[in-house]
Amino acid sequence: MEITWQQLLGSLTESGSIAITTVTYLAFFAAVALLNYALPRVLRPYFLLTASYAYYCYEPANRSLVPVLLGATALTWLCGLVIGKSRSKPVRMLFLILSVLGGVGVLLYYKYWNLLADLLGGVGVERRADLITPLGLSYFTLAAMSYTIDVYKRRCRVETNPLHYALFVSFFPAMVTGPIGRYPHFRPQIQKSRRFSYNRCAGGAFRMLWGYTKKMVLADNLSRYVSVVYGDASQMGGPQLAAATMLFAVQLYMDFSGCCDIALGAARILGYDLIENFKSPFESTSFAEFWRKWHISMNSWFRDYVYIPLGGSRCGTFRRILNLLIVFTLSGLWHGADWRYLMWGLSCGVFSAIGMLTRRPRAALAKVNPVYQAAWLRVFLQRCIVFLLFCVTLVFFASAYYNADPYAIYGGLLQGWQGLSGSLAAVTAMMYDCGIDGRLPVVLLCGCGIVFAAESQGRNVARWVRGQCWVLRWTLYYGAAAAILFFAAFGQSVFIYQTY
Amino acid sequence: MKNQLPTQPQRIARGTSRPRTQAGSPAPSRRRKRKKRNPMALFFRGLARRLYFGGKTLIRVALLIPILVFMVAFSYQVDRSGLFQGALAPRRIVDLMLQGYDVSNFEQMDERQVVQLFAQDVEQTPQAIGIGSSRILQFNRENTGIDSFFNMGVTGADVRDNMTSYYKMVSYGKAPEVLLWSVDPWVFYGSENAFDARADAELYNEFLTKVLGVETDYEEPDQVELWKALADPAYFQGNVDYYVKNRGQSVVTDDEGNTIEFNPVEGDPYESPTTIKRSDGSVLYDKAFREQNQDQILSLAASACMTFNSVHMEGFDELTPTQLEAFDAFIKYAQEQGTTVILVLSPWHQYLYNYLLTEPDNHRGFFQVEPWLRQYCADNGILLYGSYDPDCIEGLEEMDFFDGLHCKDSGIRKFFPGIPQALESLHNGSAPDPLSVTPRVGIEQNLPEMTDEVPVE
Repeated sequence: MEITWQQLLGSLTESGSIAITTVTYLAFFAAVALLNYALPRVLRPYFLLTASYAYYCYEPANRSLVPVLLGATALTWLCGLVIGKSRSKPVRMLFLILSVLGGVGVLLYYKYWNLLADLLGGVGVERRADLITPLGLSYFTLAAMSYTIDVYKRRCRVETNPLHYALFVSFFPAMVTGPIGRYPHFRPQIQKSRRFSYNRCAGGAFRMLWGYTKKMVLADNLSRYVSVVYGDASQMGGPQLAAATMLFAVQLYMDFSGCCDIALGAARILGYDLIENFKSPFESTSFAEFWRKWHISMNSWFRDYVYIPLGGSRCGTFRRILNLLIVFTLSGLWHGADWRYLMWGLSCGVFSAIGMLTRRPRAALAKVNPVYQAAWLRVFLQRCIVFLLFCVTLVFFASAYYNADPYAIYGGLLQGWQGLSGSLAAVTAMMYDCGIDGRLPVVLLCGCGIVFAAESQGRNVARWVRGQCWVLRWTLYYGAAAAILFFAAFGQSVFIYQTY
Repeated sequence: MKNQLPTQPQRIARGTSRPRTQAGSPAPSRRRKRKKRNPMALFFRGLARRLYFGGKTLIRVALLIPILVFMVAFSYQVDRSGLFQGALAPRRIVDLMLQGYDVSNFEQMDERQVVQLFAQDVEQTPQAIGIGSSRILQFNRENTGIDSFFNMGVTGADVRDNMTSYYKMVSYGKAPEVLLWSVDPWVFYGSENAFDARADAELYNEFLTKVLGVETDYEEPDQVELWKALADPAYFQGNVDYYVKNRGQSVVTDDEGNTIEFNPVEGDPYESPTTIKRSDGSVLYDKAFREQNQDQILSLAASACMTFNSVHMEGFDELTPTQLEAFDAFIKYAQEQGTTVILVLSPWHQYLYNYLLTEPDNHRGFFQVEPWLRQYCADNGILLYGSYDPDCIEGLEEMDFFDGLHCKDSGIRKFFPGIPQALESLHNGSAPDPLSVTPRVGIEQNLPEMTDEVPVE
C-alpha cells in the first residue's frame, strides 16, 4: 500500500481543527519551528508573524474575523505611535482614550453584546445570535491595550515597526490561552532573535510534554467526574458536589497551567520567553497570596492597569475595598459574559477584602493559637483554608462553565451526607460510574502528587529536568510520554481557558 | 532572557540614552570599526551550524521513536476491533487451525472470515486448496491424498465466494499449485437468486475490476483511514485494556466482552457430539448426523426435492452468458498463476436426482450445466471428476450420502482418485475424457453458445 503526501496531509487536516492537543497543531508547530531556524535571524519575526496569521486563519470560522485582529493591532499601534511621538498631553491623552476605547469596544461588542442586551431588556441593544467571538479576543485586546498605556506612561518605548508589534499581538503559541504578554518584555526578544540553542529547545519540548501530561492525563480524566456531577447537579448529594468542586479546582489548575506550559514551551522553542502564569498557587497561605500566584499575567494586568490607577492600596480602607471589589469583578467578567463569572469575581473580591480587613486580628490570634505553634501545621492548615475558600468561590465558576445553578449547588452541598465512610463510598461509586476505575484513580492520585511536588515553590520543572543526568532525564521523558499514551483521555481537547 | 514575574512597569527616561559630557553636549561615540566578513564564509558557517544542530535534534527526537513503534506494534498485534488481523473470533479459529487443532462450534463460525484470515495468516502456501460450497467440505487431506491441502469451501458459497477465496490467496502471493473446485450449478446462474447475502460483494467487485477487467462500482478503499488507527493512541488504549483483561484467561472475550466459544477439540474428533471444523478446513459433521440410517438419509433427500430450487437456483432456466464468461476468465486467471485446476461435480442423492428428472422443465438450467461443463473441460483440457448424476458414478450407493446434497467421504473416494493421481493422469495423458460420461438430463437441452474464446458445440 502506498501512502501519498496528499493523503497524509489530508488525514492531518481532515478534522478542520488546530486545537493545541491535535496532531495538526504539533505538525504545524514542528514545521514552523524548523523553518524558523532555517531562516536568517533577521527574517524570523516576519516569518513568525506569517505563521501566526496562518494559524489564526486555519479554522474557517476565524478567517472572517481576521480584520478584528488586524484592526485592533493597527489601531493600538497607530495610537501608540502618536502617543509616543507627541509632546502634547491632550493629544497623548486623546489617543490613549481612543486606543482603550477601541480595545474595550471590541471586547464589548464581540463578548458582552448579548449580556448587555439581556441587562437592558432589549432596549436599544438587541441580542445577536450570529456573533462569533474572535479567537483569543480576551488575550490580544488586553495585550494591545497594555502597550498603549505603557507608552503613555513612558514605561515602554514606542514601536516604529508595525510588523514587530503585530507579532507581539498575534504570537500564536500564546494567542489562544495566554499568558497575556507585555511589550517591554517581548520587544527585545523580537528585535534580536535568538540563535538556535539545543538546550533551550530541549527544555521547551519537555515543558510542552509536561503540559500535555497535565492536560490530557490529569485534567481531562478529572473532568469526567466533574462534568457528570455538575451536568446533573440537582440529582447529586453533598459529598459528590463537594468532591466535584474540589476536583474542579485541581482540574482547572492542571488544565490551565498545562496549556500555559505548552504555550511557554512552544514559545521557548521558537526563541521567546513568555511570562510565567502560575507559581504553585495551592501552596499559598493567604487568599491574597493565592491571587499573586494564580493566572499571574491577568491578575498583574488588572493590578497595573486598573487597581493601581484607581488608587491601589494607597488610599482609605473603604476605597481600597472598593478597588479590590472592582478589580475582582472585572477579572471575573473577563472570563465570560455570564452573571456567574461576575459573581465568582465578586466573591473572590469579598474574600480578599475580608482577608485584608482581618489580617491584623488574625496575626494577633495566630500568636496565641496553640495549633499554629508548629510551623508546618500552621502552613498546612492555612493552605487547606485557602484551598477551601477558593473552592467555595469556584462553585460559581464551575456552574458557569457547566451551565448549572450555583445556588442549587450551594444548597446541595449541605445535603446527603451519610457519615465519612458512607459519603466516601458514594463518591467512590460515582467515580466508578464515570469511568474512573481500574488503575486510573491511582494514576490520578500519584500524577497530581508528582505535579504538585515537582512544581513546589514555583519550581520550573523544565529547567530542573535539564539540570539532571541524562538517565533521569530520559526516564522522565519516557515516563511522561508513556503516561500520555496509556492514560490520556483523547478526544477531550478543549482547554477551559480557550473559551474565554 | 530569564523568566520572571511581571513587576510594576518601570518609567523609562525619554530621549537619547547616549552619555553626555559635563557641558551637556553628547559625548563622541566610540564606534568600533566592524571587521568585514566574507558573505560566503558566513553563509557556509550558518549552513554548517544549522546542519549540525538539526542533526543533533533529529537524533534526540529519534530516541523517542521506540515509543511510537511500541504503540503501533502493540495495536497491530492485539487489534481488538479486528481492523488489521480480522475479527477476534475468526482470528482465534484460524490461529487454532494453523496450530493443527480441530475447532469446535462450527455452526457459529463466520466461515468466510475464517477463509479470508487463513489466506492472510498461513505462512506456508498449501499445495492445493478446495473451493466450493458445503458440498466440497468433505474433501480433506485423506481423500485428496496430500498433506498440504486446505479446504476453503464455505457453506452456501456462490460464485463470488468461490472466486474471491482463490483471489485472496493470489493477492497474498500464495497461489496454490492445485485448485480443486467443486462446481455447483448456480455458478452459471447470473440472477440475484444465485447469490448468497453472506458473500463479500466488495471483494468480488475488486476481483472483477482488478483481475478480470470487468467494470463494477468498486472503489479503492481508503487505506490511510485504516492505517491511521495504528497511530491512534485511543485505539492503543483500547488494546491495552483488552490485553490486560484477557491475559492469562482461559476464556477469551471479544471487543464487547462476550465470550468467544471456539476452542480446540479434545479427544477423538470422530466421537464429537457437535460439528467441528478440521484443521485442514474440511468439516466433520456430528456423530449423529454421520451415523444416520438409510431411511433417515432418504427422508432428508426426499425433503430436499421440494426445496431444491430454493438453493440459489430459483428461476434458473438457462445458463447466463456473463457467468460463463466469468467462469472461463477465472479458469484462465488461475492457470496464469501457475495453478492446475481440477473440477469436481459432487453428485446428488439418487432419490433427489431421479425426482428432478421427473420435472425437467422446472430445472432446465440445472440440467444444462453438466453437459456444458463437460464440453468445456474437453475443449480446454481441464480435469473433471464426478457427476451430478449419481448413476454415472460407479458403485455409488445411497449410504454414501449424508442427505440429498452432501456426499460422504466414502462416496468421494468412488469418483475422485486423489490429487496426486489426477495430476499424474494429466501428465501422462491418461486423464478421463469428460465427454465419456453422459448424465441423464431428462429432455433434450439446447446449450447456449459462448464467445469464440470458449468454443462449445
